This record gives sequence, structure tokens and C-alpha cells, in this order.
Amino acid sequence: MSLSQKTIRLEKTNFERSLSKIQQDVLRMGTLVEQSFRMSHQCLFQRDIDAAKKIIYLEKRIDQYYRQIELDCATLMTLQAPVAQDLRFVSALMQLVRDLERIGDYAQDLTEMAVKLVKYPSHSCLSEVAMMSEQAQLMLATSLVALADLDAETGLSIKQLDDLVDDAYESLYEKLAYQKDVPGIVEPILILGLIIRHLERMADHATNIGQRVAYIVTGERK
Amino acid sequence: MFNDMATLDFFLGLALGLSLYLWQQYYFRSQLKKIIKVFSASGDRNISLSPLSLIRRELYLLDQKRRELEQIEENWRIVVEQAPIGYLVVNGDNQLIWCNSEAQFLLKIDRWRFGELRLLLELVRSYELDQLIEKTRQTQKKQEKEWIFYFTKYASSVEKNPAATNSTASSRIVNSIEIKGYGFPLSNNQVGVFLVNLQPLVELSQSRDRAFSDLAHELKTPLTSISLVGENLLNRLQNPEYRWVEQMLKEVTRLSNLVQEWLDISRLQDDPTQVINYETLDLCELIVSVWGILEPIAKKKQVTLNHHPTVNSIIEGDKSRLMQVFLNLLDNALKHSPPNSTISVNVTVEQSETNHNKTQAIVDIIDSGSGFAESDLPYVFERLYRGDKSRTRSPDLNSNNIFSGSGLGLAIAKQIISSHKGSIQAQNHPKHHGAWVHLTLPCKRNSLKEN
Repeated sequence: MSLSQKTIRLEKTNFERSLSKIQQDVLRMGTLVEQSFRMSHQCLFQRDIDAAKKIIYLEKRIDQYYRQIELDCATLMTLQAPVAQDLRFVSALMQLVRDLERIGDYAQDLTEMAVKLVKYPSHSCLSEVAMMSEQAQLMLATSLVALADLDAETGLSIKQLDDLVDDAYESLYEKLAYQKDVPGIVEPILILGLIIRHLERMADHATNIGQRVAYIVTGERK
Repeated sequence: MFNDMATLDFFLGLALGLSLYLWQQYYFRSQLKKIIKVFSASGDRNISLSPLSLIRRELYLLDQKRRELEQIEENWRIVVEQAPIGYLVVNGDNQLIWCNSEAQFLLKIDRWRFGELRLLLELVRSYELDQLIEKTRQTQKKQEKEWIFYFTKYASSVEKNPAATNSTASSRIVNSIEIKGYGFPLSNNQVGVFLVNLQPLVELSQSRDRAFSDLAHELKTPLTSISLVGENLLNRLQNPEYRWVEQMLKEVTRLSNLVQEWLDISRLQDDPTQVINYETLDLCELIVSVWGILEPIAKKKQVTLNHHPTVNSIIEGDKSRLMQVFLNLLDNALKHSPPNSTISVNVTVEQSETNHNKTQAIVDIIDSGSGFAESDLPYVFERLYRGDKSRTRSPDLNSNNIFSGSGLGLAIAKQIISSHKGSIQAQNHPKHHGAWVHLTLPCKRNSLKEN
């Protein structure tokens, strides 16, 4: 079953129409969040400083969608009083957009750090951080696919992907924290520490999205 | 007697029944004829067949036509399926109805089966495509859009081994492809989209620029040594050899300037942040000082500058680069101005159209020459473009200036201006047809308030 198949029939009830509008908005918001994550990646690792400006615009759109979706979900719940899977669906969506919005926020923070980091020569850990960022992007993409397909199994499998990011975080943290005889000032290292922390949080939010999808389908929280 | 009455009644009843039956038959036939008249396309419906046979014939013809149409539709489907450009169509609810294999390849639609009806956004997470479709639907007009489509890999539940995907695809998690989409409205609120793969073109033009830059790099060193040798030689020669070598040196200098400019422009394009050194400067002052450089040539031609620096035009920019831009623009204007004319330069400051918190400086440079040729206008900012098709260079008057027609001057100007987040346009003045260059540069924040 996929996200939209619940609502595809020739004649739709009012409830189904509202639900399908919300679905589309959530998916749109997902694409925007994915895009800003990608831009933060380009900004950090390809030194594309323009991205830092574009992302502000994206962030505004994401916020708009976030508020709109939250409002629409609340309206739907009060006016239509959905039950069973529909209720799970609407309430999980409300939580899920919060996760998406957080990822977008972190992405914007990352670009701000990238702008600060440009001044310094690139650190030897940067390629590992780039891999970590890509892994987190893969998790976000997977969670969005799981949402679109309403695929509980894929949703839960993201947890395993998260372990890779956590491991990368640990090893990078150690590398950064236990360096000796560091020349120059500490800002680049400080920023790198914050970056990996942010990436780890983003991956966690992606994991959450996956688990919420599983909750929509199965009704069980894991 | 009683028997007779009964017989009469029977016949009366029979006659009534028969007449009712006949009337009904007649009515039915006339109904059939009407239907045939309305729906039949063929003109020979007056032939004397019974209406039932006519209907049968009509149905047969319709069925045949339907089959033919189905065949044609099937053929079109195959044609579109095989087309080298992508095609997809969505219905009023943004659900994907159909897409061909090229579209599936371009947009990486791998979770869709023929006949399935799913939201396009579920299958293609591209905000730009969604916007293109929305815009097409709202305006009900053809829309075009170019964008870079990024596709992030995802871990599918079919593939149960995350470690394997990780090892093979560390650098290939995010792929990108440049796409141009043409959206057009269809009936029933549907929207069709053609997708063209621009990636090969982008790569081609990149590799062309790269090859050219490499070539320029290779030419730089030998050109320098040739000119050094030439200069040494010059001191030991007499006419006529002296003149020949002098001529050669001029050409060598021109060539090495061209090479240097090309390298500059490539560097500006690759990474403007490394080349541009920002400082705070007054645009009007800058223009005045540039004119100071050109004044000797202008005096010879009796060309005057009409420039009244009144506004406070403080901007953030690279002084030497911007001087280069205005030197080039004003020099061009000067070159194309007839004697005893004026060049006017207007500087204004106003709010930016796109963002009302920001201000921008607008500079209009208008000369009294004959303007750009209409056919050249779209290309004047292209590298090595020459208005004059014969590509001859008049070995002319002001060969002392540094931009003596390498064909890169305006291209560099454009690159510098866009590195400053500004814009530059060329047109002809509608009244006196002189060349009119219009450029904008973002002001330093709050320069209006200070004023």
C-alpha cells in the first residue's frame, strides 16, 4: 500500500480530500527539507557559499508548510474526528512534520557554520564528515520513501542505518577531541564538533520519521 | 346472439391490441431512425434497409473505428515510449497517470508500475517539477523551467544489507542531472511534461571551457618568452627589421593579453570568492576616476562625459575589478561615439525589486553612437563574440588601451558584475539609438539610511 492509495477512489469524501491535500503538503515539505540538507552539504564540502543565502528562502517555505500542515491536521481532527488508522495517520503526521522542520533548521545552522569554516584550511577529518553527511541524507531519503510507500519495514530499517552515523560520530568525536599539538586557534575544530553533532541529530530525526511511518501502518510503537 | 357478441368483443380487442402493437413498432422504428440520424457519420443512411439492420451496420462500423483508434493510440503510446525525451502526464490531483521510459530514467522513477495511480511527489521528490506542474495548471499556458535534479539514494527494504550499499556508494549517494522541463495543460485538468536531459550539454560546455583554459595556460609561458626575446632583439635592429619586430611584438602583447584575460575570466567563474577582494567604495567616485584615465583620448575626439554624482552610492566591491569594468564600458562607449558628442552616465539608488530590505545602485551608460546591431544584442556578453563577422581587427587609433577588442571585454565585465551579485544588460536607447548598458550592483546595507 502506498500513501495515496488510501484516498484514491472515484468519489472522495470531504475527509479524504482534506487528507490527500495534507499528504501532498507533507511530501512537498519533505522535498524542500531534502533540498536544504543537500544545499548545506554543498555549502560545507564544496564551499558553495551561495547556498547559504538560498537556504534562507527554503527555510521560510518549510516553516510555512510546517504551520499549514499542523493547522490542517488539527482542523481535520476536530472537525472530522477520524478513527483507527486515519487517526494514527493524522497524529503521526503532526509529529513527523516537526521532525522534518528540525532537520531543515539544522541544515540552515550547518550552512552558517560552513560560512565560518571557509576561512580556514580544510581539516583532515572533512572527508569523513562528508561521508557522514551523505549517510544522513540517505537516511532522510529512505524515510521519505518509506512515508510515500507507507512501508513499515523500510521505516524500521532506518534504525540500522542510524548505527553507522552514530559510529561515525563517536570516531570523529574522538579524533577531534583528542588531537594534540593543534596549531592555530580552536574555532575550526569547535565548528567541526558542532557539525558532527548536528548531523547526528539530523540522522536521529530521520530515524524518528521512519518509526512514525511504522506506527501509522502497524499501530505499534517500537 | 351471446356468441356473436363475444366474437365481436374478441375481434375488437384483437384489433385494439394489434393497433397498439403496430403503433409501438412504428414508434420504435422512428426512434431508431432518429438515433441513427444523430450518431451515424456516414451519409448513406437513407438506403432502404430496416432500421435494425442499419443499427447493426452502424454498431459494426463504430466498433471497427474504435479498434482503429485503439490501434492508433497504441502506436502513439509506443512512439512516446520510445521517444528520446522524457514525457509524463499527471491528473488534476497530481497523480502520475503515465510516463515513458526516458522520464523514468531521468527522474529515477523506479517504484511505479504501469496502471498504478500514485501521487507524483511520492515517486519523484522534486520540488521544481511540482512547481512547474502547478504553474502550468494555474496559468493554463505552456511553461518552461530548467533545474538540476538531485536524486538521493535510499536504502530499500528489499536490500537487507546496509553495509553493502554503504561500501559501494559512498560517493554516489547523491546524483545530479540537469533537466529542462516543458509543461503544458491538457484536457480534464491534466498536465503533461516533456523532460529534456541537458546534462550532456552542460558537461560539453564545461569541458570546452576547461580545454580552452588549459590551452591558455600552455600559451602563457611561451608567449612571455617570445615577447622577452623580441624586446631584446629590438635594441639590436635597424629598419626595416626594427619595424617588423615591433609589429610582431604588438601582436604578441595582444595575444598574451587575450590569454591573461581568458585565465582571469575562468578564475572568476570557478571561484569568485577567491578573486574578489571586497572593500567599501563610492561608485560615483570610481566612475569619475575611470573617466580621468580616459580623458586624454576623449579630449582628442572632443567627447564629453555627462555625469552628475549626486547620490550616495556606497557599495561593497573589488575596486580594481570594478575599475576594469567601467574602463571597458566607457572605452567602448568612447570608441563608438562620434566626435563632439556626449556620453551620459546616470547613477541612481533604489530599492531592490526582489527584496525590499535591500537597495541597489543602478548605472546607465548611454553613448551617442550607432548602438549595437540588433542581431548582436543577445550575444554581446559571450566570450570571443565579435559584432563584426569578418573578425578583422582594425589596427587602430587607441591601441594603447588594454582592451583593444579581444572580444573578452564585455564577457569579463559580465563575469565581474555577476560575481558582485549584480546584473548587466545591453540594449539600444529607444530615442537616439546609442548603445545603452544598464547595470545594477547591490548597495552596502543601510546606505540609504545614512544618506
